[in-house]
Amino acid sequence: MDPPDQNIVLVRAATVRYGRLTALRDISLDIRCGSATAVLGRNGAGKSTLLRAVLGWQPLTSGEIRIGDAHPQHARPRLAYVPQRHAIDWDFPITVRGVVEQGRYPALGLFRRMGRADRDRVDGALEELGIADLAGRQIRMLSGGQQQRTFLARALAQGGDIFLLDEPFAGLDLFAVEELAHILRNWEAQGRTVLAAVHDPAIALRCFARGVLLDTGLVADGPIAQVLSPANIELAYRSEHCVHDGRGASAAEARR
Amino acid sequence: MSVHELLVAPFAYEFMRRGLLSAVMLGVSGGLLGCVLILRRMALMGDALSHSLLPGVAAAWLLFGTSTAALFAGGLAAGLLTALGSALLSRLTRIKEDAAFGSLFVVFFGAGVALISRLPTRISLGDFLFGNVLGVGRADLALAAAVSGATAALFALFYRAILLETFDPVFHRATGGRGALVHMGFLTLTVLNLVAAMQTMGIVLALGLFLLPAVSAYLWCDRFAAMLLLAVLLAALGSFVGILASFHLGLASGAAIVLCLGLVFVVSALFSPRYGAVGSLLRGGRRLPGA
Repeated sequence: MDPPDQNIVLVRAATVRYGRLTALRDISLDIRCGSATAVLGRNGAGKSTLLRAVLGWQPLTSGEIRIGDAHPQHARPRLAYVPQRHAIDWDFPITVRGVVEQGRYPALGLFRRMGRADRDRVDGALEELGIADLAGRQIRMLSGGQQQRTFLARALAQGGDIFLLDEPFAGLDLFAVEELAHILRNWEAQGRTVLAAVHDPAIALRCFARGVLLDTGLVADGPIAQVLSPANIELAYRSEHCVHDGRGASAAEARR
Repeated sequence: MSVHELLVAPFAYEFMRRGLLSAVMLGVSGGLLGCVLILRRMALMGDALSHSLLPGVAAAWLLFGTSTAALFAGGLAAGLLTALGSALLSRLTRIKEDAAFGSLFVVFFGAGVALISRLPTRISLGDFLFGNVLGVGRADLALAAAVSGATAALFALFYRAILLETFDPVFHRATGGRGALVHMGFLTLTVLNLVAAMQTMGIVLALGLFLLPAVSAYLWCDRFAAMLLLAVLLAALGSFVGILASFHLGLASGAAIVLCLGLVFVVSALFSPRYGAVGSLLRGGRRLPGA
């Protein structure tokens, strides 16, 4: 693991276009090792696109992203991804343990069997997130917070040190939000790097030390309170009232 | 009727042995594919896909006669054309994928019916649509064995990739999985199995052999591997009972198999203690508590 206070995710002039739509325009920023950073902005501001680009499966139109000194696709073992809750079919026939075991699949490849070390990692992740006694449950038979912890445990079981979370707070009740905030602060204290797309500025202020504010371009980055200054919020969220869907804003941008 | 007359005597006939073998083998692979189809909410797309095979099969028949290889190639070409065509349409126009699929498949199906009306009269549209177990030849059987074996082997080899791509495609891709490849491979396997099942089940009913065991298993299982296994068992069992019923009662084979599997489905949907309708009503119209 890299020493703290060193930059671990380096984004240089990254631009992503889908056809005529610009999803990410000329972004340059550094994510410090062991920091918890909220990626903020309204719908269509490029939060998910930035996360996917860092993961290495959203190709950049131009610019560069590096994880340490490697291309994201070569840094995959270090990266763990937690999807949005609504992307998951909670009726899927799978148990908590089944989900967490998936964290080992990338390392195992297609054919190798789960070994002792893999099972230990899975057990460790279940323990750390306090869901060991729920391991046999089908995933709908969980509270929202427990569901979120199941996917955090899968990310832990992957064994990486950089965690990318897509809207982890969406759809959680108040108690679960506090619980997740507590977990993320712990992770930060343990030197894990967290990068999370967050829709709600109030939650970001409470739960994250640093922020990145996007409006397809970079509006601000740095300590969260500075990033979410009234002027910046005005700048990044000003056109929210005329955004009807995720692409509305960038579509308007493209027509200009 | 003695047990012997009920269960053994029918298989004194070669066509019954072939029909049974072919139906059971395709039940095994169909059960596997069906699980993925329903979990990815592609059940109706599978239905559309099966209808769209008709013109390819009919054209092959017109051009090459009853050659199994030609029918297979024709069906495959028509199915892949529909799948790729609707993927392209939804990408290049504002039409969504379901509408693109729906539109293409009726056009294909219409073309198929038109072509079949040009075929020599002794071949009926009904055999294409609903299957005829009497017509299962040696080549059909070999085809069923090859397709079913390949499907089962691919599911065993790529179990993890299939599970990830079905459950959480974003995670699969984020961890370096070849999502698009798995998806295309899956569609191809589905078309192959539909074509292979055409002789016994017919184009319209073949999907029943895929979906019904899978949906039934879905109502009983909390683990993906268990669901696959149960679906395979149900499909094989339903094929066996259905073929026997078709023999004793003089029913069309495809219909008899679908009805047997349909019975299992209705019982599961009503009485599965955790996920069935009766249990849910007893809990006051609610599904089991969740998030």
